[in-house]
Amino acid sequence: MTKAKPAVFIVDDDADFRDSMQWLLESTPYPVETFASAQAFLDAYDGRAGCMLLDVRMPEINGLALQQLMREQDIRLPVVIITGHGDVPMAVNAMKNGALDFIEKPFDDEILLQLVDRAMTEAEKLFSEQQQERELRTLYEVLSRREREVMQLVVSGNSNREIAETLGISPKTVEVHRSRVMSKMRAESLAALVQMNNRLNA
Amino acid sequence: MLSLEQELQRCQQEAERYRLLAEQSTDMISRHTPTPEWTFIDVNPAVERVLGYSVEEIIGTPGYDLFHPDDAENFIKRAESVRYHRGMYTNLSRCQHRDGHYIWLETTSRTIRDDAGKPVEIICVSRDVTAREMAQQSTRRLARVVEASSDMIMFCNHRTLQLTYLNESAYQTLGAERENLTAINLNELFSEETLATLVKPALQHASLYSIWYGSIPFYPADNPGRIAEVREVIAHRNRAESMQVEYYSIIARDITLKRQAEEKVKRQQLEMAHMSRLLSVGEMATELAHEINQPLATIINYCNGTLRRLDEGQATPLEQLTRSMRLISKQALRASEIIKRMRGFVRRTEFQRTSFAVNETCVEVTEFLNQEAIDNNICFHFELAAEDPIIEADRLQIEQVLLNLVRNAIESYAGSSLSARPVTIETRSLEGKCVRVSVIDQGSGISPEQLENLFEPFASSKETGLGMGLSISHTIIESHCGRLWVESDGRSGTQFHFQLPVKGQT
Repeated sequence: MTKAKPAVFIVDDDADFRDSMQWLLESTPYPVETFASAQAFLDAYDGRAGCMLLDVRMPEINGLALQQLMREQDIRLPVVIITGHGDVPMAVNAMKNGALDFIEKPFDDEILLQLVDRAMTEAEKLFSEQQQERELRTLYEVLSRREREVMQLVVSGNSNREIAETLGISPKTVEVHRSRVMSKMRAESLAALVQMNNRLNA
Repeated sequence: MLSLEQELQRCQQEAERYRLLAEQSTDMISRHTPTPEWTFIDVNPAVERVLGYSVEEIIGTPGYDLFHPDDAENFIKRAESVRYHRGMYTNLSRCQHRDGHYIWLETTSRTIRDDAGKPVEIICVSRDVTAREMAQQSTRRLARVVEASSDMIMFCNHRTLQLTYLNESAYQTLGAERENLTAINLNELFSEETLATLVKPALQHASLYSIWYGSIPFYPADNPGRIAEVREVIAHRNRAESMQVEYYSIIARDITLKRQAEEKVKRQQLEMAHMSRLLSVGEMATELAHEINQPLATIINYCNGTLRRLDEGQATPLEQLTRSMRLISKQALRASEIIKRMRGFVRRTEFQRTSFAVNETCVEVTEFLNQEAIDNNICFHFELAAEDPIIEADRLQIEQVLLNLVRNAIESYAGSSLSARPVTIETRSLEGKCVRVSVIDQGSGISPEQLENLFEPFASSKETGLGMGLSISHTIIESHCGRLWVESDGRSGTQFHFQLPVKGQT
């Protein structure tokens, strides 16, 4: 996990266009990283926060396919689709795939920069969510098998007695497991634990 | 002084000789009543050979009934077939044989009258002229065919080269008048050079081998605007005597309409090729727009990036600014190149044959389709003939054919899950005479049913497009004396080939 500054990732097969985007975006505070293909991005991406400016039309793996691959690999970056003239149906599909917005070439820099700002805000949100989820998962990893069983039954609304019956142990032991779960997960209340569980299973 | 008895005996002998004569004659000699029925009174035995009836059978039957219905009224109407000369009628008519068929009889008849001038009987001598009539009839028919033929048929004197006969078509095409025909000589029809280098050798050939076939075009001086072509010369020999050539038949044809039609087809084809080109450009408009947007977007980025730096008073090194300026002009050139290429592609030109290298054209066409190839993950492969064959053809039209074939190859991968999508363009020199160009894909192939009418217009299997591409391509290649064909197993790919003669082999 790197703590580097969130970056703008540009994926476009046209070298001149990439270069011009870099020139334009270097006037903003965001670091810019460019990739000539979807594969080059997948190979180089290190989990850093940021947003992506993605060309839909590319050889080998096109923009839509990259969105799919990112979902499969759990890469959560807000994506702004860049389309050429007449690619609107592709852009619509990209939006359905969860893209933040799309912009048609050639575009006004103001609009692009606004979009990048919006995407960066979104990125921070996504990134902190992901961060929390990671932390939560780290905590959950520490639970023993019995503690996880107890936690499942607790968040399903079972009482200590019911849990004791289900697991065939004494209610006293359930109580011990339950307080360990609460402290290990750093949950202040039952409600907070239920929320955590939901997030883990999302 | 002979006695009366002797005289009588002599007369009887004479009568007997005439009777014998009449009986031996192969001509039919008959006597008829002077009534409209012309009933047979007497007839010699020749009747049996001529009409099939015995003497006994025919006596007493009306002669009128034997005439062919069309000929029965000849006498009454004094038709052309009846001639009158010194009291004798000669008539040509058909009479029915006892078997039912008709024979041609030439009959000479005379009416015998009494002292008061009243008709007593009619004497006829009839001869079977069926064979002669048939022969004449077929000669007349042949003559009519020659006369009416749409080919120009001319008889030509073998020594003077004067035309002695022209049929109707020949008159019309040559613009000659039948009424005041001035003898036409071959040297008036052909230029001196054509006569010496083409016509005379043709006559020479015909005189040696009886017939000459070929094509010698000529332009009748009296009928401007028309084009004719001599196709055959037949030498006729005198078979009875010396076997020497007696005269020539020259068979020619007016090809003005054909030429006009050919010109029209050529013009239409040019229109079609142009249309096809515009259609292709129309279909490729999205790609073109995308391609042009690319440098435009790049230019705008450089401009805006530069303006931002200047506006914000950032200390930007001058060399960075000049670099972005240089890149802007590079991109502007890139855009104008795309436009130039497209304009060059749709420019309208007359059909013109030029010499060009096929290999180069193949590469150029794929460059034009670069964007489409990128979007469809197509990879072009070239296997070009090392001889670098040169063809002589209308370059734009051949480009159009290649474009159609390569686009088809690209589209053959539509809906396919293949990741490797090669389109191979191969040129091959065939013994230095022809060049074969093949466009090969490994797409979904063409089913045998589709193959059947693939080159018909509007036979498209695609959702877009008019289905004119292959039909037009086929016409273009054929008009260049080439051939376009296709092979496909219906599953794993299609190979389109066309073959054109290389320069100097047309």
